[in-house]
Amino acid sequence: MHALQAAILSFCEWCNASFFGTGIRDSVWLFPFVEIFHLLALAILGGAVIILNLRLVGIGFRNDPPSALHRDLRPWMVGSLIVMLVSGFLLFSTEAVKMYGNWAFQLKMLFLLLAAVFTFTLHGRVTSRDDSPAGARWAVAVVSTILWLGVGLGGRAIGYVTTAATAATP
Amino acid sequence: MSFDHFLHWLYDTPFSATMRESVWAEPLFETIHVLTLTVFLGFVLLLDLRMLDLAMRRKRISAMFEHMNPWLFGGFAVMIVTGLLLFSADPVAFYSTIFFKLKMIMLVLAGVNVLVFNKTLGRRMGEWDAAAATPVGVKVTGLLSLVLWVSIVAAGRGIAYALPPP
Repeated sequence: MHALQAAILSFCEWCNASFFGTGIRDSVWLFPFVEIFHLLALAILGGAVIILNLRLVGIGFRNDPPSALHRDLRPWMVGSLIVMLVSGFLLFSTEAVKMYGNWAFQLKMLFLLLAAVFTFTLHGRVTSRDDSPAGARWAVAVVSTILWLGVGLGGRAIGYVTTAATAATP
Repeated sequence: MSFDHFLHWLYDTPFSATMRESVWAEPLFETIHVLTLTVFLGFVLLLDLRMLDLAMRRKRISAMFEHMNPWLFGGFAVMIVTGLLLFSADPVAFYSTIFFKLKMIMLVLAGVNVLVFNKTLGRRMGEWDAAAATPVGVKVTGLLSLVLWVSIVAAGRGIAYALPPP
């Protein structure tokens, strides 16, 4: 086993045994309570990304320059991403070791890394300028949609992979 | 036929049985339901925050409505259809939870909130649309909507945890 994998696994074990990992796991209502924040932040982050992408391809919000929408929505995107990361980490910590071996979770984290980096680099650069060429606008809107959809679908798959793995265990 | 009879009748239909027994139906419709939150709920929350003067203040509320309405209606239609499909898989169990009943009541209240706004302040939008701050009535509408939708999400999560395990 590589040193990095060992480090990640021991981090997962630490999360599992931490006070928040055990506290949320042992409580009946804390897990769904944290999920509510995860879903509300999903709505705002996803809504903001969709507004920007609709504007980039010229399907919606055409009266506003992309730079104005970008300026207005960015604080909400940053805020909701932080809420998603914190609530997501808390949910993860209840089953961290299981998540370590869950391919859907691994895929989600890969997409999340790509989506977050893309959103705050290329996507942000194209959206914050009103003179970006149409080709660039279409390209970043499509890539952003695919990456965030990957995060969402990966997230949905986590539960079903866990259930399948549990069912397969004798 | 009482409502209770209706729920049992629905449960006994072949359609309900298919929804219940299918491996793909629940994950598929639940995924569409959750991902459509971004279009529907995301836009609703941003609109509420705009009404409270907390988000997108440079944009007029009339323009917010104009730009968001097609997506709000489309998103809501998807939420209702996928929600009904999920409900139809086990109507008796869904209805037996307090969270389902609360969610339905709050959905109706959110609808009433929209209707009242459309009949009153929404009709006179031209009078306050350009003002530096939204009138108190608009803020109350936005706050009511925000509280109701957050509670609807909470109740929706509650249903999943209150349902008897499959």
